Amino acid sequence: MKKKYFSILILGVLALTLSLVNSCATSSSLASNRSGAQLWGENCLRCHNSPSPETFSDTQWDAIVLHMQVRANLTSNEAKKIVEFLKTAN
Amino acid sequence: MIVAVFFIVGSQKICAQSNDSLLLQEIESLKARVEQNKPGKSIFMLRGYAHSGFVKTDDQVSFDGGSFNPLLMFKQSDRLLFESELEMELASDGLEINLEYANISYILTQTLTLRAGKFLTPFGIFVPRLHPAWINKFPTKPLGTGHSGILPTADIGVELRGGAYLGPLKVNYSLYAINGPVLNNGADEPEEGGKLHYGRFPDNNNGKSIGGRLGILPFPNSSLEVGFSGMYGLVGKDSAYANTAATLYAIDASFVKSLSAIGSVIDFKGQYAAVMVGDAQYPDHENPDELISFTNNSSTYFAQFSIRPALISTPVIRNLEFASRYSHIQTPKGSEWEVNQNQWEFSVNYWIDWRTVVKISYRSIQGEEGHEEGEEEGHGIGEGNGLFIHWAIGF
Ligand code: HEC
Repeated sequence: MKKKYFSILILGVLALTLSLVNSCATSSSLASNRSGAQLWGENCLRCHNSPSPETFSDTQWDAIVLHMQVRANLTSNEAKKIVEFLKTAN
Repeated sequence: MIVAVFFIVGSQKICAQSNDSLLLQEIESLKARVEQNKPGKSIFMLRGYAHSGFVKTDDQVSFDGGSFNPLLMFKQSDRLLFESELEMELASDGLEINLEYANISYILTQTLTLRAGKFLTPFGIFVPRLHPAWINKFPTKPLGTGHSGILPTADIGVELRGGAYLGPLKVNYSLYAINGPVLNNGADEPEEGGKLHYGRFPDNNNGKSIGGRLGILPFPNSSLEVGFSGMYGLVGKDSAYANTAATLYAIDASFVKSLSAIGSVIDFKGQYAAVMVGDAQYPDHENPDELISFTNNSSTYFAQFSIRPALISTPVIRNLEFASRYSHIQTPKGSEWEVNQNQWEFSVNYWIDWRTVVKISYRSIQGEEGHEEGEEEGHGIGEGNGLFIHWAIGF
């Protein structure tokens, strides 16, 4: 029984994942409503204190935001906007 | 007169021309220097964290070793990242070094990343997001988490993860296949019969564990996230345990918001997790020729709340944070490792910068410890109270 519920859960996540692979259009149109500054302000304090832009150099931000894109499941578009904001504000 | 004017204008022109050429030379040499130092596409970073402190409990008063965790990160290109973290901890007999994780991530599309190697298992939120000492708001961990807890920590495998928008909803997801938990059949350690161990290598059987987590962020400002995690896999070895499987699930929630009305950031996080292992028999601790069986279900949860007046202008007040956490663990009744405990943690934290903190914390544990002596926070620990003063730094 538990196994059945579990399979349903896994299949659900799988179906969702696969349907999202091709959802670039939706994701970019919605993400484009929010600026890099806004995305930084809303996302970077969710797990830890948010670092201010002047904490790191442009090059360092490139590596860190890629790291956080993976860690925090950000879309590439969100990561791009956040990194651009951090680089102009540091 | 006219000649004199021509002379002056002419000489100024020559002066301006020589100034211009000096300026041009200067610009050229600056350009060359910038070019020389232009960063390449590939970036290496050494980051990480460390912590230690002082502890006073009913049976010890000691400066506490803590750990030093170097994090090595290689951004090979805009799509390719390698991350690795070591955990170096002082142990009673010297230094203990563990490979926390070492994995490669490749950004496949806007919304999908492929990851392979040893990674923090995306099960619940404590381990993958909150455990580093500069993120954890307490010097101690919630019951049931940590290296000797009852929940997954890190494992080797492959994972597809990412985030996307579904209409107004932001979602994030992870699907993975890993070696999975290893069942202790109690042959060598009868006091641990029926317990799952995580991150063991190599795997004890051919069955891999599969799992996933789905996170839903219902508000456009991403303040709230609710997550559902599950994992399933065969965990046993040898005929008696060949079909023994484990099913794990967790529900987590996180709410973080900057409230200008009270000049503070409030942060709520919680997680409930259950571990269910199929029926099997294990050697009796007292009399290893006899077999015992029990319903092998465990559960654990925590809820934590913190408030930091981060928007107040006075620095001393702005850097303060007040946090409290409640956690509970229940391991199988009738097992050799039965534990039924509650833990309260209260902490006053002073943030020296965004990732350097001094935590003054009080912990209280009540409840049955069962048969097993806990050697580390994270699963059953002796009942009692403790005072902790710890510092943590991320760099
Ligand atoms: C899902 C939770 C989460 C979110 C959201 C998040 N981080 Fe992190 N971040 C972490 C964790 C966990 C670590 C610690 C990594 C480790 O030590 O394993 C970390 C580490 C860092 C570090 C230290 C250097 C490094 O790369 O490890 C920086 C800087 C950082 N985060 C910046 C950010 C920024 C900027 C954002 C917003 C784009 C962000 N974080 C959003 C979880 C998160």
